[in-house]
Amino acid sequence: MSAVSRTWDQLTLPGKFLAIVVPLLALLTIGLVLVVALFGGAIWDIVLANLPAVRFVVAVTALLLLSPPIAFVIIYMEMKIIALMNLRIGPDRVGPWGTLLSTVHGLKVLMKEDFTPNQADAVVFTWAPVVVFATAILSALVLPFAPGLFGQDLNLGLLYFFAVGGLTVVGLLMGGWSSFNKYSLIGGLRSAAQIVSYEIPLTLSVVGLIILAGTLSLNQIVQQQAGWFLNWFVVRQPLGFLIFLIAATAEANRTPFDLTEADSEIVAGFSTEYSGMRFGFFYFAEYIGVFIISGLTTVLYLGGWNAPFELPHIALTIDVGSFSGWLLAIVAIVPVLGTLILALPFFLFRSKTRWWVALIIGFVLFNVLAGGLVGLWAYISFDWVAGLFWFLGKTFALVFVFVWARGTLPRVRVDQLMSFAWKWLLPAALLNLFATAFAVVVAGV
Amino acid sequence: MTATLPPGTHASADDPNVLLQDDFDSYEPIPPYPPRTEREAEFYTLGDGEMYLNMGPQHPSTHGVLRVVLKLDGERVVDIDPVLGYLHRGVEKLCENADYHQTISQVDPLEYVSSLFCEWGPVMAYEKLLDVQVPRRAEYIRVLSGELNRIASHALFMGWFALDLGGLTPILWSFIERDEIVEMLAALTGQRMLFNYFRIGGVNGDLNHEFLSRLGDWMSRAVGQIESNTKLLNENEIFVRRASGLGVIDTDMALKYCMTGPNLRATGLPYDIRRAHPYSIYPEIEFDVPTRTEGDSLARYLLRMEEVKQSLRIIDQCLEQMPDGPIMAKLPRLLRPRPGRAWAALEGPRGLYGAYAISDGTDQPFRLKIHDPSFIHLQAVGALLPGHLLADTMAIMASLDPIMGGVDK
Repeated sequence: MSAVSRTWDQLTLPGKFLAIVVPLLALLTIGLVLVVALFGGAIWDIVLANLPAVRFVVAVTALLLLSPPIAFVIIYMEMKIIALMNLRIGPDRVGPWGTLLSTVHGLKVLMKEDFTPNQADAVVFTWAPVVVFATAILSALVLPFAPGLFGQDLNLGLLYFFAVGGLTVVGLLMGGWSSFNKYSLIGGLRSAAQIVSYEIPLTLSVVGLIILAGTLSLNQIVQQQAGWFLNWFVVRQPLGFLIFLIAATAEANRTPFDLTEADSEIVAGFSTEYSGMRFGFFYFAEYIGVFIISGLTTVLYLGGWNAPFELPHIALTIDVGSFSGWLLAIVAIVPVLGTLILALPFFLFRSKTRWWVALIIGFVLFNVLAGGLVGLWAYISFDWVAGLFWFLGKTFALVFVFVWARGTLPRVRVDQLMSFAWKWLLPAALLNLFATAFAVVVAGV
Repeated sequence: MTATLPPGTHASADDPNVLLQDDFDSYEPIPPYPPRTEREAEFYTLGDGEMYLNMGPQHPSTHGVLRVVLKLDGERVVDIDPVLGYLHRGVEKLCENADYHQTISQVDPLEYVSSLFCEWGPVMAYEKLLDVQVPRRAEYIRVLSGELNRIASHALFMGWFALDLGGLTPILWSFIERDEIVEMLAALTGQRMLFNYFRIGGVNGDLNHEFLSRLGDWMSRAVGQIESNTKLLNENEIFVRRASGLGVIDTDMALKYCMTGPNLRATGLPYDIRRAHPYSIYPEIEFDVPTRTEGDSLARYLLRMEEVKQSLRIIDQCLEQMPDGPIMAKLPRLLRPRPGRAWAALEGPRGLYGAYAISDGTDQPFRLKIHDPSFIHLQAVGALLPGHLLADTMAIMASLDPIMGGVDK
């Protein structure tokens, strides 16, 4: 026993970690192999019998797994872009160009103390971030990322999106109410007033589009916008698009409508008393909210996964089997040869470059080239890769718009916010709706 | 919990024992003593649907350590109770126990963003006590460095004001200008912030090459830079709508509150000490006194930006007319002014900086009273805030541009 404990004490921290994790992983692998070997057929039958339920579980799990990376990317984007707008450098220490900084922030938040104020309503206080995060994930469920790449294709998709997205306000109110802090309370009440007010123009601005599309299913709305970019609904509904974008900014609590966490007025709004991962959930939910609302705008008005122009369809058929034995040779030789060929010019034409530096440059260049080629091949061969490319491109362009607004605009006041929603956005949305209905009924567009 | 307190006392957030208590009421920002005045009794009685909100002394945007207890009805401010003194250092008392030269470094950190003006007032008062003629070159250097400091202070104001309205970018843009000015003043004086540069009878050091080359560099692009910085705010619909009609002060009210400087000139009265009671070499220099008539936050902001342009004009003329000669008057090491009293006033970035010095014939001032514009202007907050929304409290306070170091002294 003493020998074991002495050995254990001699291990370093990573060693201790591996000593626990590696046997566990090995056991898990053996168990999984055994389960699949023994009950594989039965499990597959069950999966096939309950396909919708399985699809739901897999989609939610995938979204839960994907949401932190998406949030990290957007947080990094925000830090870096606002820094450049502020004429600062921004994150540049952790990872190349500081790209890992937001990830490290996430880890830091995990390790911080999870503090509950003395007088707070502990149960509500704990569940508020869960509600906010869960609604963000659930509303992403109907978002079509690419052909065949979506959580659920509900025929009431848009309605579901607004219904679930509207639940966010419950979480914010819970957080604001239970924190035992007046700043939190004011932040929570502000968010309630704001989201409830902007829900109306947000929903009304889409009704015109629904009349044109004749469906609430997000997948079908995207399919109707296929082809040339003039088919996008933004061309037929420019006013609706504008109203939707403004109301969506307010819905996502982003500048210039970020009254709920106005740091110069009410410190941090509803999240003033939160710390640790509970604050992290609020933070993640905000950025996932930005991604989702940008994604929805893309889906509704900017053609979703469709390319802005019709590309000639190239049928690329590479029969890997026909290479037979040569495949191994290609896989073995091409990287080495490519690295050498790409490194050669740097070595030959720049006398200062050492041979190993040239080799590194060549290796990196080869990887970039090969990655690009594989990406191109995937783009041509798979519909969902092309769709995902365009969807993410458009969505992140919209995310950039949100970040841009944060970098340039001051915050509006509460009464201005409300009067803008009720006096300008709502009549404009109604005008848009009636004009669309008129055009459809009379002119038969 | 009330049983543990002596009868007739309230629990307060100021009371350290309160941290041990779990009672809800103990967290109200009520003073731990019975109300001393009618006003206090009125403020610390809640009406229907009202609540207290304790803002500061630690708050993201109180510009130092100002504590304001707000009485809110929803988001609307009903009444406020500013609590001062968190930065009180007893500067005036310290000055009574330091000799005349040492007081300069004591008054330096009063308004820490415009230290040169804090030094200038007492120095000018002492010069009047001693009846010293300051060399002309020293006066020019004082005006030159003072106007640079004025621009630095206004740059900071612009950034803070925008930050309090929720804009993130302007403060960093304006800090580029401010940093360049502060660096060149550091080349001249040796410090970036608390310069300790003016001396009784002159200045500490002559203009040097680094200062002049930095100044020349900066002057060649200053106008364009400042224009591009202000464009981000001046042409922003949200900013203009937020700031206009906010905290309106009319001339009568401004005079009633003894306001000076940009806050007074924004109401339409062109009262500038540099013109009304000329001092130093200002009579020889051409510049305008910009005014605006609206008297709201936006007018105060725009007026300060106008003043920056006038300061640039003054700096240009100073550089052109800079005479040769000594930078210090001939004075003994130990100063013993004859008994008497002297008042000196000058136009700082926030208004009238005054110093009232009394000498009893020893080497220490018998009394040095500092008249600080921040303190004067902050008094108006009590009249301006009620009726506005919570979001505007910080914006109104920022537009008056108080510096807590000067308020609490």
